[in-house]
Amino acid sequence: MSMDQAVTAEATEQAITAFVSERVKAEVPADQDLFGSGLVSSMFAMELVVHLEQAFSVQILGDDLKRDNFRTIAAMTALVVRLRGGEKPADV
Amino acid sequence: MSEPLAGAREIVDDLVGDRAAEWDRTGLIPDDVLRTLSARGLLCAGVPEASGGLGASSAANGEFTAFVGSRCSSLRSVMTSQGMAAWTIQRLGSAQQHAEYLPKLAGGQLAAVAFSEPEAGSDLSAMTTTIEQDDDTVVVRGQKVWTTAAHYADMIVVVGRYGSGAAAVVVPASAPGVTVTRVAQPSGCRAAGHANVTLDEVRLPATAVLGGGQPLMLLVTTALAYGRISVAWGCVGILRACLDAARGHARTRTQFGKRLADHQLVARHLANLLTSEQIATRVCEHASRCWDQGSPEMVVATVLAKQVGAVQAAQGAATAVQVLGSAAAHEGHVVERAYRDAKLMELIEGSTEICELILADHAVSMPAT
Repeated sequence: MSMDQAVTAEATEQAITAFVSERVKAEVPADQDLFGSGLVSSMFAMELVVHLEQAFSVQILGDDLKRDNFRTIAAMTALVVRLRGGEKPADV
Repeated sequence: MSEPLAGAREIVDDLVGDRAAEWDRTGLIPDDVLRTLSARGLLCAGVPEASGGLGASSAANGEFTAFVGSRCSSLRSVMTSQGMAAWTIQRLGSAQQHAEYLPKLAGGQLAAVAFSEPEAGSDLSAMTTTIEQDDDTVVVRGQKVWTTAAHYADMIVVVGRYGSGAAAVVVPASAPGVTVTRVAQPSGCRAAGHANVTLDEVRLPATAVLGGGQPLMLLVTTALAYGRISVAWGCVGILRACLDAARGHARTRTQFGKRLADHQLVARHLANLLTSEQIATRVCEHASRCWDQGSPEMVVATVLAKQVGAVQAAQGAATAVQVLGSAAAHEGHVVERAYRDAKLMELIEGSTEICELILADHAVSMPAT
């Protein structure tokens, strides 16, 4: 992973953490299982999908909607970084 | 109305004319009406142009949906099913599946989406239909009930269990093992082609599976989102039809030496109908704006729109029945149909009570203002 990609991943994780923590009104560690802990309803799961699409200009379709991609903040971060993979970071 | 739907209302008026009451009575919309609208992309106007659709925004498609709903809720209901099928394919399908199915839905074919089962209505998490992988094929087994538009459909998008999660699968209505049986004389949207669908060892190519592995309720919530916004706009249409009929009657009918509109107790009904129509319209506009902006608020705004729309439509239709009196107290009158159709809208796509539970959950969990 290049330096730029690492910075992007970190910023992405921070942004997702902020969104999730705000919504569930709790500190959420990046590796916490959101579904297993009952923090996430199906409505919120869909909000997460739409939020990630809007905030990071990606489209999450088909197989990418798998639960495993949304299980933790870390997994969502990895998904976003992967979907943005083809692009240069906006700030370089 | 924006460009993709220019002329669409005229086409609908031309096709529907004054036949909605007859369709309600016979329980059938003529095939050529549905095929013509499908071929023009009007039953799922949100399908992107790249996939052969009209690429209408949610706001424009919503206003068009309300227009159709003001003419015939059965036709609007078929539209809702077709749009929901297209949306589900858009969300869950691969690029190849988009290319395979979407141009058909915008090009003359008809589709339905099957969720409910005998033991899984409001509690869709109890569904037992299975989609099982078998080499490069899948086998679909289960029983779906109350599938809107299934009677007309060429393809039925069936939601079921798939591995440890869920998937949707596009089932041709003609596939061996598929039996479609009409629901006899539904109480509302009588010509919407509600049917029960039995899937007896239906074997399909694995390429018919959309997505796969999603949590069941995320898949259901995603697919239903389109159905809900579409029903909500359809309810706006019901309210507009009721308002038109009630004010028309109150302007012309005279009792006790003056127009009904000049009797205060009747005037209140008119005010309430106008209020209902405006409330439902604004809530739908907000939800559609969220869709068009890609805002995560669309999820809750859509449930809110469905809830407000259905409750207001049921109330508004009852009010209109009261204003029209004996003038509308016969089968097939626009207000009599609205009364039956609107009540059904409180039962489908998440009953009023289920929507209330979702909204309550949101109220509890939402951040402080």
